Amino acid sequence: MTSVTTAAESGIKEAVKRFILSSVNIPDLGDDDNLFETGIVNSLFAVQLMTFVEKTFAIEVEMDDLDIENFKSLNATVAFVSRKNGHRVA
Amino acid sequence: MQHFLNDRQKARFSEFRDFVSLNVQPFAEKWDREQKIPDAVVSKLAKSGYLGPSLPTEYGGQGWDVVTFGLLNEALGRGSSSLTGVLTVQSMVSMALLRWGTEDQKRKWLPPLARGEIIGAFALTEPGAGSAIQSLVTGFRQSSKNGSLILNGSKRWITCAQRAEVFLVFGKLEQDSVACLVPKGTPGLQVEPIHDLMGFRSAGLAQVTFSNVEVPPANIVGKPGFALSHIAPVGLQYGRISTACSGLGLLRGCFEESISYAAERKIAARTVGDIGMIRSLIARMGIDLEAGSFLCHNACRSEQDHVPEAFEKTLSAKHFTSRAAVRAASDAVQIRGASGCHESSPVSRYYRDAKIMEIIEGTTQVHEDILGKIFVGQASKLRR
Repeated sequence: MTSVTTAAESGIKEAVKRFILSSVNIPDLGDDDNLFETGIVNSLFAVQLMTFVEKTFAIEVEMDDLDIENFKSLNATVAFVSRKNGHRVA
Repeated sequence: MQHFLNDRQKARFSEFRDFVSLNVQPFAEKWDREQKIPDAVVSKLAKSGYLGPSLPTEYGGQGWDVVTFGLLNEALGRGSSSLTGVLTVQSMVSMALLRWGTEDQKRKWLPPLARGEIIGAFALTEPGAGSAIQSLVTGFRQSSKNGSLILNGSKRWITCAQRAEVFLVFGKLEQDSVACLVPKGTPGLQVEPIHDLMGFRSAGLAQVTFSNVEVPPANIVGKPGFALSHIAPVGLQYGRISTACSGLGLLRGCFEESISYAAERKIAARTVGDIGMIRSLIARMGIDLEAGSFLCHNACRSEQDHVPEAFEKTLSAKHFTSRAAVRAASDAVQIRGASGCHESSPVSRYYRDAKIMEIIEGTTQVHEDILGKIFVGQASKLRR
């Protein structure tokens, strides 16, 4: 996935990006930067990110949602939240 | 902290304290000496609903909020850290299963856990993997039979394993972490009690060995690959809340025993409490008690509100109360003098139990390392 287009998705992206940047000491975050493989975050952060998206976007991450592809990057997380919320992803 | 509680929480805390005064405090030294908690007191915990406090009522639990869960742990911790350990691990297993179990698993296991008909144990720590849980060597391999896994390995320092009827076990299937349930009596499962610990002597710790244990697909919890990153943290979060609040209870025990002794014990025409240096020790205890109460309450509220900060709030609370408990227990023995060094005094037991608090559910040093990284990571907030 390379782009998200709707206003709702832009809002999701902004919120997720703000949360990640407030938690890790990096100057900026690219849309497709791999959060875990590049070591931007550690495994302890996985549950915090999951909790953040559940709380902020009123969704529940279920067992079938446990897939690193859903949270590997900013864009992946936005796409996941959008799917759970029923938003269209470009 | 009392003024932060609602009327229902206050009433329950009072009920919990009454339970502990009647059923725990008078017997805790005996259990400690005998290194065993009687089945009867565990049955009393169960009948009072104290072994399923956080589970929803639909699964037979009490459905209490996290603050009330913390208050229960604090009250029990005032009486016996070892007994609180039963609630700690029961909650770790139950809450991990509630979050990530299948509906069939929840229907099968949660009601008996909630009612205390069975006791669970959280089998994560290994002889070579304590705080560094990524170093687990307990392993799974595929069986030739219908999707089953074969489990081999050994777990050590497993609280309540001596009385557990089901184990939530963590291991690796090649590179993927896996969690599964192993009921007591499963062929290949062996439980060897660990005796003569310095503290937590009646908490029923054991080494648990798995030799070609067959795990059917119905007993695998969550998705392979996510056991350490998502399933274990749910249990550990409840374990740390429980330990933080239990440590607070121990601290309260030290405080109450010390002020009582200081007010009554005569030295010539004065009391121990008339001595300035003793008052200084008690003052520090009281301040730690107040600070620890706030930290524990904040951790419980954060978990209740399901906010990402709950993790660091809980680490902070556990770090603070466990260290404060060690200081308070040492000072409580000091205030009592020779009588505090004898096993008949609760402060002697507190002194030994307090040190364990600094080690279980993550050591002080590991938590400082994690918290330090989290706090440094938040430096970016200052630049905005």
